Amino acid sequence: MSSATVNGGEAATGMDIEAAAVQASTPAATNTVPFAQKPNFKPLKAHEISDGQTQFRKVPVPPHRYTPLKKAWMEIYTPIYEHMKIDIRMNLKARRVELKTRQDTPDVSNLQKCADFVHAFMLGFDVIDAVALLRLDELYAESFEIKDVKTLRGEHLSRAIGRLSGKGGKTKFAIENATKTRIVIADTKIHILGSFSNIKVARDSLCSLILGSPAGKVYSKLRAVTARMAERF
Amino acid sequence: MASTDDGGGAKPVGFDSLRRLKSTEPPLFLSPSPDLSQAARLASQYLFSSLKPFAPKSPFSQLLTEGFDAEQIWQQIDLQSQPLLLSLRRHVRHFEKNPEEIQKQFDLDRDRFGDSRKEETEDGDGDDKLVSREGNKSDGLESEGESFDEDEEDEVEEEEEEEEEEEEDGPDDGEMDNEEKGNADGVEDKFLKIKELEEYLVDDEEKEYGLKKEKKKRKRGEITDKDEDEDEEGDKEDEEDDEEEDNELGLMGLDDDDEEEDGSKMGTARYEDFFGAKRTGQGKKSQVFGGSDDLDMDDGNNNQKNNLSTHEKELEKLRSEIETMENANLEPKTWRMQGEVTAAKRPKNSALEVDLDFEHNVRPAPVITEEVTVSLEELIQKRILEGRFDDVQKPPTLPSRPPREKIELDENKSKKGLAALYEDEYVQKTGFISTALSFSDEQKKEASMLFKKLCLKLDALSHFHFTPKPVIEDMSIQANVPALAMEEIAPLAVSDAAMLAPEELFAGKGDIKEETELTKAERKRRRANKKRKFKAEATKRVTRKVQQNSVMNSAGGNDES
Repeated sequence: MSSATVNGGEAATGMDIEAAAVQASTPAATNTVPFAQKPNFKPLKAHEISDGQTQFRKVPVPPHRYTPLKKAWMEIYTPIYEHMKIDIRMNLKARRVELKTRQDTPDVSNLQKCADFVHAFMLGFDVIDAVALLRLDELYAESFEIKDVKTLRGEHLSRAIGRLSGKGGKTKFAIENATKTRIVIADTKIHILGSFSNIKVARDSLCSLILGSPAGKVYSKLRAVTARMAERF
Repeated sequence: MASTDDGGGAKPVGFDSLRRLKSTEPPLFLSPSPDLSQAARLASQYLFSSLKPFAPKSPFSQLLTEGFDAEQIWQQIDLQSQPLLLSLRRHVRHFEKNPEEIQKQFDLDRDRFGDSRKEETEDGDGDDKLVSREGNKSDGLESEGESFDEDEEDEVEEEEEEEEEEEEDGPDDGEMDNEEKGNADGVEDKFLKIKELEEYLVDDEEKEYGLKKEKKKRKRGEITDKDEDEDEEGDKEDEEDDEEEDNELGLMGLDDDDEEEDGSKMGTARYEDFFGAKRTGQGKKSQVFGGSDDLDMDDGNNNQKNNLSTHEKELEKLRSEIETMENANLEPKTWRMQGEVTAAKRPKNSALEVDLDFEHNVRPAPVITEEVTVSLEELIQKRILEGRFDDVQKPPTLPSRPPREKIELDENKSKKGLAALYEDEYVQKTGFISTALSFSDEQKKEASMLFKKLCLKLDALSHFHFTPKPVIEDMSIQANVPALAMEEIAPLAVSDAAMLAPEELFAGKGDIKEETELTKAERKRRRANKKRKFKAEATKRVTRKVQQNSVMNSAGGNDES
């Protein structure tokens, strides 16, 4: 905390510079209007933001992701602890992953990124795909349900789900490859991971599939989108 | 009165002059001399005045010679003499028929000679008187006339003409008398006798044309007496001019030709020869003469055509041609000459007769003969055998734009993670490392490689475009192939730079010999070595098997125990 005053109050380490600045400015101040020099501050550490207090994030683990978490724990732990410098632990009793900042956590947002990363894994995404969240800033994960788009019941719902994924998941993969996103279809819930515009395109195609358009139509639209996107480069 | 007095005083003068003229030699008349002409004038005057009492109707009491032309003088004489001669002839005829009257005349003459001329009420008595008086005078005239060359001929001609005319005139007169007896009441009187008028006119015209003949004859043949004769003739002609001018003008040319050609016909010249067709100026006279003239005119026409000269004939022909052409022009044109003619405007089937010529824009249909058919069939058969039917082939449609790249959607699970994807995207955007992102590039690469190889081979075959073999930088197995191929089919030189080194090819040590190079001992040695190795391996295998069996046995044994 810098408490530099023009009057030149208590002695502090940063004061020397400011004192010098004041001394320099005082002879000039007599001639012109006294301006307040823009203070130069060093960036805050994560620790200092919270006034030296640590921060926590807690991510619940759904039961169907318990075993995959166990299998992929090291792949999750390593990038968080090594690269993000966030403490991570699994609370087995509460069945949740807990994240905590350290003192040497470089950035404030690391904690949130790690929390998102873990959350994405809990949604169903692969670790490889979820790691992208840690690396890139502008990736998001969007979720919606089928019933948000259209109320389907019974067989219609099943058929819709089948339409979405396609035979052996080819439709889903086609959408993923075309739009550079990752899609997770979990029963009636659909999660999309990717950049904002890509998420929109993927969402549109998925919605059209839910609403009943055949895969071929969706493909043609995807082709157009891809061509457009390719033309940009 | 005065004339008689003058006649009495001039009598001896006149006689003298006459005598003089008579005595002069004919050749002297050729050269014009005023004495002779004066004498001639006086003589004519004397004669005129002496004849005057006997002339039936003469307007001149005295022959006027001073200041008059020869022609004019002659006219005066003619005026007097013509009717006089007629009457004399009549009297002569009369006397021919009635000879006894001659005696009477002579008896009476002595009584009546001194009497003045009475006005005659009857033609017959008057004529007789005239004949009696004029007979002397005419004799005198004739005797005197004979001295003159021209008068002789003139008289002879005239007599001949007049005889003929009188022969004709006889019936004519008869007719006229019959016709005009009716009209005589109002027109005729003691002074004007139409018959006499007609006769006079006829004679006048005859004389005129007789004169013309004479004139032409002179011009053609005779040189002598030209000037004097012309003077004399001119006198006579002058008298005629007053009445006969139109006729002269109208008929001169034709009649001249007529006279020139038909010298022999002079004697047989007739009225119709001159007044053949009804020509201009003759209108009144032809009407007066009436029907008789029509007959004469028809004959006259034919005679006239026969008598035309070549020039005249040509002119006639030309004129007729011109006339026909003009008539043709006046008429409306034939349908062939008119512009657009429909079928209604021309007679039926007239277009068939005319040889029409118009352009045919259509090629005429080919005539199908046997040869044509045969040739066609031959062609068809040949084509069938060849199999070369000129079928229409669709032309290849050129693509208006290059075919769009068909983007294939990959339906497999992507091998790259999402992060990797975005990483690649970022890299491409920044252009840090150029890499083929899309899936289809690999296939493209493969395809392009294949194509390049094919092209190389084809170029080598054709020698047109040389391209060196592409150096493919792969981390692939190095084949023992030369890197460069030369331009010729059979490369003269091949670089072995890219070939494998011998060490790479074969790694071995020692003196390496082939089987053929080996000596017997060495071969034996090699075989022995091989045997030893085989045996050693065999024993090893056996021992291993034994060991395994023993282990298994022991394990099994342990279990059992």
